Amino acid sequence: MLKVKGIETFYGKIQALKGVSLEVEQGQVVTLLGANGAGKSTTMKTISGLLKPKHGTVEFLGENITGLRPDQLLRKGIALVPEGRAILSTMTVMENLEMGAYHRSDKNIKKDIEEVMEQFPILKERSEQLGGTLSGGQQQMLAIARALLSKPKLLLLDEPSMGLAPLIVADIFKMIREIKAAGTTVLLVEQNAKQALKVADYGYVMETGKVIINGEAKDLLEDARIVEAYLGKKSS
Amino acid sequence: MLGELLNPYHLQIASFIMINIILGISIYITLSSGQLSLGNAGFMGIGAYTSALLTIHFELPIFIGVILGALVAGIFGILIGIPALRLSGVYLAIATLGFGEVIRVIFVNWESVTQGAVGLSGVPHLGRELFKTVTAMGFEPEMLGLRNNQVVYLMVLTLLVVINILLIWFFIRQNKSRVGRAFAAIKMDEKAAESMGINITYYKVLSFTQGALLAGFAGALYAHVMAYISPADFAYHRAIEILIFSVFGGSEVIWGAIFGATFMTILPEALRVISEYRYMIYGVILILMMAFRPQGIIDVSLLKWIKNMIKSRRRTDHGTGTKKHN
Repeated sequence: MLKVKGIETFYGKIQALKGVSLEVEQGQVVTLLGANGAGKSTTMKTISGLLKPKHGTVEFLGENITGLRPDQLLRKGIALVPEGRAILSTMTVMENLEMGAYHRSDKNIKKDIEEVMEQFPILKERSEQLGGTLSGGQQQMLAIARALLSKPKLLLLDEPSMGLAPLIVADIFKMIREIKAAGTTVLLVEQNAKQALKVADYGYVMETGKVIINGEAKDLLEDARIVEAYLGKKSS
Repeated sequence: MLGELLNPYHLQIASFIMINIILGISIYITLSSGQLSLGNAGFMGIGAYTSALLTIHFELPIFIGVILGALVAGIFGILIGIPALRLSGVYLAIATLGFGEVIRVIFVNWESVTQGAVGLSGVPHLGRELFKTVTAMGFEPEMLGLRNNQVVYLMVLTLLVVINILLIWFFIRQNKSRVGRAFAAIKMDEKAAESMGINITYYKVLSFTQGALLAGFAGALYAHVMAYISPADFAYHRAIEILIFSVFGGSEVIWGAIFGATFMTILPEALRVISEYRYMIYGVILILMMAFRPQGIIDVSLLKWIKNMIKSRRRTDHGTGTKKHN
């Protein structure tokens, strides 16, 4: 579905990505792991068009989408949930959800919003509250729910668990599982390797701008190198 | 008598209020997509000079001159807006302020066309042209018991009020539409707006251009209400004045700009009796505002409160019928 081929991205003269390739198959959850500065976010930004690669291409459903802006990607079926829960803080939860369907013009928007609210009841409870007054975890849920309302084929999640308490993180991953169950393909960039690999089908591990390990998520969970570097020894 | 109540001086002030409201809305519109433009005095000047020159030299009807003035300012808005998009916040403010100064200096130095710092006089006067038209149609001021100049200023004011009502109606509608939602989302968080499928380049240029168009429109009207313009009318203190309309009144809602423009136009006139101190009072008011109500007089919660007041009053009126005498 999504094919990233040898992308090299630069910040001025500094090369942040040194030929990253990865693939996301339809219906899968694929996770991109790595420590700070490994190039995960740069990869995500290159895929979502916020940065342009010097070399390499990004293909979606066989079409070259390299360098397209996020709003153009959305029309192609790729929704991005940016890092740091970008919600509209002075709009209500309801208005935020409506904005998620901004580019749609069909008649099912109301029904879809209802459905999303059923799926994530906290959003229904708070529907008249301003987005900015939600807790961090609720804001992240809102951001993801909003992205779902664009009816994406592929959902890009950029560090959804960042800065959240462990209990809330569990909720977010539960949400990702539900999204997967509903049939949406997900590319998940995460620092929380253990949780991410548990929900994912396939994983890529990055270090200093390159993919160093990739494989089935369940194998990666067992991989000695990953256990040592990211999961802590003897993970339960 | 109606004739004694209508003082041409007051009518003229009221006309300025109407023009300043358009200027206030022009900066509100760019602010509503999160961009601070201080170039509106420049766009106003472009509109004013375009319309004035066209009506003086080519004897175009005023209404065509005004429309062309607004359009030319709007085109400059697109040209400036596209590169200016790379800037944000205070950088955009400074760059647009610089643009305004460049425009002013061009007006000063392009003497063969603009007559330089002396300014353009003999700009066709909106009121007198209207007056000519209606008297040609057989109308006499005495029919209403009015003097000629009362009718002149009254017609200008009436026309401006109608224009303002239409503009305010349009922009309130726009605020509730997809365009308004996009502006609001961009103002709150550009990254989020983009990820929702909003083409932020397009909408930012749109709001910048709308601001320029409106400022040019206001400038063209100004030229034909004053019948005289000079580069000093569009200097940076005008840019600041326009900013204050919106910031003082409240930049979150369109009513803020409207209130701010009205209040800030009346204030110096009302304080004329203590002429030496009036700008000091103006300054003190601004300082107090920024200290105690930085969001401006009118904000979203105040509007909500007013709406609720009206609602509950209506309810009690209908319910008991006892409050009628209050």
